[in-house]
Amino acid sequence: MKTISFVLNGKKTSIEVDDNETLLGALRERLGITSVKEGCGIGECGTCTVLVDDEPHYSCLTLASKANGRDIKTVEYLSSSGVLHPLQEAFIKSGAVQCGYCTPGMLLCAYSLLLKNADPDARDIKEAISGNLCRCTGYIQIEEAIKNAAEICKCDR
Amino acid sequence: MLPKFASVIAKTREEALSWLSSLENPRIIAGGTDLMVKMRAGKQYSHVIDVAGVPELLTMTETDGRLSVGSAMTHARLSTSEPIIRNARSLALACGLVGSPQIRNMGTIGGNLANASPAADSIPPLLIHDAVLVLESKETRRRVPLEEVIVAPYVTSIDRKELLGSVEINPLRGYREGYRRVAKRATWAISRLGVAFAIKEDKGRFTDVKLAIGSCTPMPFRPKKVEDLLKGAEKNEAIITEAIRMALEEIKLISGIRPSYAYKLPVLKGILEEVLRG
Repeated sequence: MKTISFVLNGKKTSIEVDDNETLLGALRERLGITSVKEGCGIGECGTCTVLVDDEPHYSCLTLASKANGRDIKTVEYLSSSGVLHPLQEAFIKSGAVQCGYCTPGMLLCAYSLLLKNADPDARDIKEAISGNLCRCTGYIQIEEAIKNAAEICKCDR
Repeated sequence: MLPKFASVIAKTREEALSWLSSLENPRIIAGGTDLMVKMRAGKQYSHVIDVAGVPELLTMTETDGRLSVGSAMTHARLSTSEPIIRNARSLALACGLVGSPQIRNMGTIGGNLANASPAADSIPPLLIHDAVLVLESKETRRRVPLEEVIVAPYVTSIDRKELLGSVEINPLRGYREGYRRVAKRATWAISRLGVAFAIKEDKGRFTDVKLAIGSCTPMPFRPKKVEDLLKGAEKNEAIITEAIRMALEEIKLISGIRPSYAYKLPVLKGILEEVLRG
């Protein structure tokens, strides 16, 4: 067992983890964050995506011990003020959510993109979500939602 | 679920080397994008040594005109690194095509080399830059050309007690350089073909040509005879046709005829035509 300390969604967190435990397992089983999901378990589908220092990582392929000292964000961070983030509003408005399984990962990749690039074009958006699979919407609505949210976030600045 | 193993986090190179030498069946982990998948499929190690945070493995230095790239540098970092874009454009392009954004944020150049996939995107660019790997154990330090490190698909001559510390490359300036690949999809797909090239021309002649082809043979390779043919030759359709014929012949000589060649070789011919015509 190892004790790891990290910032989770803005709050300092300390937990004990097994040496062979994944970050995905630790978040779900020890911290109750079930928005982070195991889809394929081999880093192809993106439902386990978390932000490590604001960059998307697959938590299913990340040893929990690697989170030590880092900033980890899950989709809960986006609405931690009690209000939905413009990205979340835009996903709802554009019908970018159907079964919802991919949504947390998509939102985190979109959020990470907007941090680096406030005015993404269609190519930037496609690239940003290219490590996440959606088997319902066909991506068009998701891309549209991210584009719309970027516009709203720009106005808010 | 992953098999049971103990994990240690190395803070320095010395620490990693000392663990490599003393532990029973250790394995180095950095990004984990290959190793975690293998362990999940049942591969067992007594210890996993995490070197992703070792400062010496995260630096890039320039000495005597050679560029030394720390093995734990991620694909994401290399694809946007100014010295890499300037000195090894094909490598920056190839690193930007590996897997997906998440994979590029996690996976490292050292891991890509140690995994030694015939389809590894970073290998053809490293071959045209005459890459040399710096392999260290507690007692030894050796520098081995990349061609000699990869001995078969997914097999390297890196000893279990050795750490891949850095990769040294020759910068190429004044070359038309790039990386072309073919995959089933634009993203998150394994390369079916990868071609790294660096070409120098002057007054209608090829003054230097470096080519490396990946995903066609058990190991990515440089068709050196083709490079020699083109070096100094007048640039015309006849020489380009002959060069491509020789390259395709060499592939058949290395691998025999494979079912995939019905598709791959005509596509490779097209890529090489475009690349050489420029």
